[in-house]
Amino acid sequence: MVEKTEAEQIQEIIQHYPGQRRHALAAMQDMQHCFNYLPRAGLVALAEHMHCPLVQLYSMATFYKALSLKPKGRHIIKVCDGTACHIKGSMSMIDGVQRHLKISPGDVSADGQFSVETVNCLGTCALAPVLLVDEKHFGKVTLGQLPQVIDSYKPGGGNDG
Amino acid sequence: MRLTIDGVACEAEAGEFVKAVAERAGITIPSICHHSALPGLAACRLCLVEATPAGKRTEVVTSCVYPVSEGLQVVTMSERIQRLRRTVLKLLICRAPAAEGRLAEYCQEYGVQNNFTPPDPDEKCILCGLCVKACEELGPAAIATVMRGVDKQIQSAFAEAPTDCIGCSSCAKVCPTGKISCTDDGESRVIWGKRFHLEKCPVCGRPFATSEELAWLTHRQVGESLDLTLCPSCRAQQAAKQSVRG
Repeated sequence: MVEKTEAEQIQEIIQHYPGQRRHALAAMQDMQHCFNYLPRAGLVALAEHMHCPLVQLYSMATFYKALSLKPKGRHIIKVCDGTACHIKGSMSMIDGVQRHLKISPGDVSADGQFSVETVNCLGTCALAPVLLVDEKHFGKVTLGQLPQVIDSYKPGGGNDG
Repeated sequence: MRLTIDGVACEAEAGEFVKAVAERAGITIPSICHHSALPGLAACRLCLVEATPAGKRTEVVTSCVYPVSEGLQVVTMSERIQRLRRTVLKLLICRAPAAEGRLAEYCQEYGVQNNFTPPDPDEKCILCGLCVKACEELGPAAIATVMRGVDKQIQSAFAEAPTDCIGCSSCAKVCPTGKISCTDDGESRVIWGKRFHLEKCPVCGRPFATSEELAWLTHRQVGESLDLTLCPSCRAQQAAKQSVRG
């Protein structure tokens, strides 16, 4: 099967929606899901399709945390730093992730595999301290288990795919 | 529709806002983010007044977006309003200590001093969004508020010189705090980091608009009967002469 080019993928997402501005956010979410970030060409094409000024899409893209203008890693690690997790030592958990992957929250690892973010609450305080990798929760994580959890998402690991 | 503002009986049409009606009656309500040609934004929060709709409780509202109603009673200055405006001014002057224009005057008038350490002592912008509104209404909407929270700012797309900006400088003209820099040197204008060529009026020779602005006006068919090659004052003179002759 021939891989689709980025421009083709962008067009596919955009053409899915009517050319009205109210669909912009949904289209941007699809794009984020498809590319793990919003490519600039995608925003430009979307603005044209929705007949709306580019800066207004840029405004939305910078407003919502779920949207990113910088490429993110293949797997997104969210370390909860809400009140309960904070009390249960999320700070050292963040340090642990940082040490293991050698990146700070907000960055992408050199091999493009991981993004690390801190979030304010995942809503599962009983499991504190909590780690969310992609869609999967890891509760009551200890610093010792951390490398094992992360490595399972590396290529060839049990959770990669 | 009849209402009372500071004890003065006023007439108003349904759909009008309290601030506009008060100003017509000669009562000024302080504001920073308001421009009479643009819709109210209720961003600066200085136009707070006490409003009592007929048969209802008194509430504190922003008069620039508060619609009139039959029998409405408005008080534009009371102890409570003064206290609230002082708080608003304290926050505004802390955010934008370098703001030009009315903000400093209001602070003096209300006896407000900046007691906080400002996050940025050179900041002028109060983020009222009047420039964004002006660009939306008059231009191509080349600027908007980007990011959020403490990082929020007025920017062009990707924080680059905006490709769609027409250099009309409406944003700089309406800015109440002098944040947006726009420099004309007679030949060209620089705004938002983009340079524009200024067109000169063939009659008086004064530079009056950018080429992009004239193209925009033609494209939008603003005043099809207008001769856009002339500057506004020469155009008015020409129209006056024609109507005398006609």
